[in-house]
Parts: sequence; C-alpha cells; structure tokens
Amino acid sequence: MIDTRSNQQWQHDLNAGGDVQASAIADLRNILLRAALYSFQRNLTDFQGLSREEILQQAEDCAQDALIAVMDHLAEFRGDSKFTTWAYKFAINMALMTARRERWKGVSLDELTDNREDAFDEKEFWDGSGTNTLERSAMQQDLNRVIRQVIQEDLTEKQRQVLVLMVFNEVPMDEVVRHLGSNRNSVYKLLHDARRKLKNGLLAHGFGMEETIASFEMDR
Amino acid sequence: MKKDRFERWLNDIYTTQEDEISCTECFDQVSHYVELEFSSQDAAAAMPQVQQHLQHCRACREEYEALHDLRQLDEEAKGASLEDLKDSIH
Repeated sequence: MIDTRSNQQWQHDLNAGGDVQASAIADLRNILLRAALYSFQRNLTDFQGLSREEILQQAEDCAQDALIAVMDHLAEFRGDSKFTTWAYKFAINMALMTARRERWKGVSLDELTDNREDAFDEKEFWDGSGTNTLERSAMQQDLNRVIRQVIQEDLTEKQRQVLVLMVFNEVPMDEVVRHLGSNRNSVYKLLHDARRKLKNGLLAHGFGMEETIASFEMDR
Repeated sequence: MKKDRFERWLNDIYTTQEDEISCTECFDQVSHYVELEFSSQDAAAAMPQVQQHLQHCRACREEYEALHDLRQLDEEAKGASLEDLKDSIH
C-alpha cells in the first residue's frame, strides 16, 4: 500500500472537515484494517475454531476501535515517526489483545493461582535437569531456597499472584489485567517490584549475576 | 519451568532497574523507537528505557515486533495488500 500523504497532510486532512476529511478517514481505516489483519495473520493459531468470516469481522472491529483511538489521540502525534507507523500501533495493540483473548478464552485463571505461601514450600523453579557436579547442585539448591524465601517472605500477595500467573504459567499480561480488573501499568509495576525484590534478595545472599548465570551455562 | 526459561527469568531479574517506564510510556514512544531503527540510528542507545521495557514486557515486545515488521514491509514497498491479507485468513 502506497502512503501518498505526508505527515503534515495527514494531520491537515484528518482535521479538515467535509470530503477531504471523509476521504482521509476512509484511507486511515484501510491502513488500520491492514495492520489488524497483519497482526492476526501472525497469530492465526489463536483463532482456532472461528470461521474466516468471524475472524475478518473481528479485524474490522479492531480497525474501527483503533480508528476511534487514533482520532482521539491525533493531537498527541508529535511527528517523530511516519504518521502511518504511529497509527499502526493502535491497530496492532487492539488486534494482539483480541488474539490473546481468543487463545485464553475458557481457561480459568483461578485454577492457576495457587499462591498460598505454603504452595512454595517444596517448589523447584526449574526441572532440575543438567546438574553435573555435586558442588554445583548444592549451589543450585541454595539458589532455589533463596528464591523461595523471597517469594514467601518479601512479596506481597498481589505480587506473588502476578508472578505465578505470568512467569510460572506464561499467562499473557492482558489476560491477567482482565482477571484482576486492573490495567497494564499496574500489573507491570507488580511484576517489576517482584523482580526488584528477587534481585536484591539474590545479591544479598551472595548470588552475583555473572557467576549465577554462568553456573547454568556450564551445565550445557 | 524448563531450564532455558529459568535462565531467561534469572536474566530478567538481574537486569531489573530501580526505575522502569510503564507500558503506557512505552506505547507512547515505541513508534519513535521503530523510526530510529529505520533511519540507521542506534535506537537502543538513544532510547534505553524503551529498549529495557521491551526486554522485560512480553506484551509490549510482541506489539513492537509486529510494528517493526509492518514498517519493514512498507520500507520494501512490498506490503501485502488488504485483499492479499484477507485471503491469507482461512
């Protein structure tokens, strides 16, 4: 698709009123639909069980929602990218959220969040494969113990819940957001705080970054 | 979890910064970041906080990757048409 408008023309035309604006909006909608379809095409397995018509309809819905979002945020476009690149991200955001929702629909997140503190009493954080020497194995057991301790003693319940869902069960952020009735920023912050506490805990117990990561690489 | 995922998680933990930007701030800046990449500039050096957020946030990273690749198709002026894309859905 050839983008025939400059950034300035896009901004002018979308604010112009009349036929000029209507034509620009129609072109913008096609650009957004294209971005939504492109995002769907990369994730087609998420849509198993849906007919082609249903998928295309969802892409149309994403394009429409993205169009509204773009028009609402038009004044914030600073011209630090091509206008189309800036507009694409709204459609990609809607489309990938839709794809993740389809993939995870019907999965009960409650069943995945066994985050009682004693749920970690015996937990091993990796499957234990590839420990070659007794010494290294002891070091890795220590590492497991420190991680368990931080999770049980230092994390808040919410931080633990988000960690269990996103890190141990690989649930996408948007699904966690929906489950908690929250938003991306808050969930990211919970995970960030959990990472920060884990990092400080590991460093405080003498697990420096390089030697700890290297101890796993030696096992290869 | 599998060992390679555990290693990635450890790496995530150790590369945690005291201050990290939010998903909203990343969304706000990611189109600029992609555009820097296409103007042969070192986007990661120019916008380290965006690069750091993308490393840690899978949702934002997947959106960034789609944006980057779609921009790439435009650059090569061989972007699939709307009709081609509709045909690819089946």
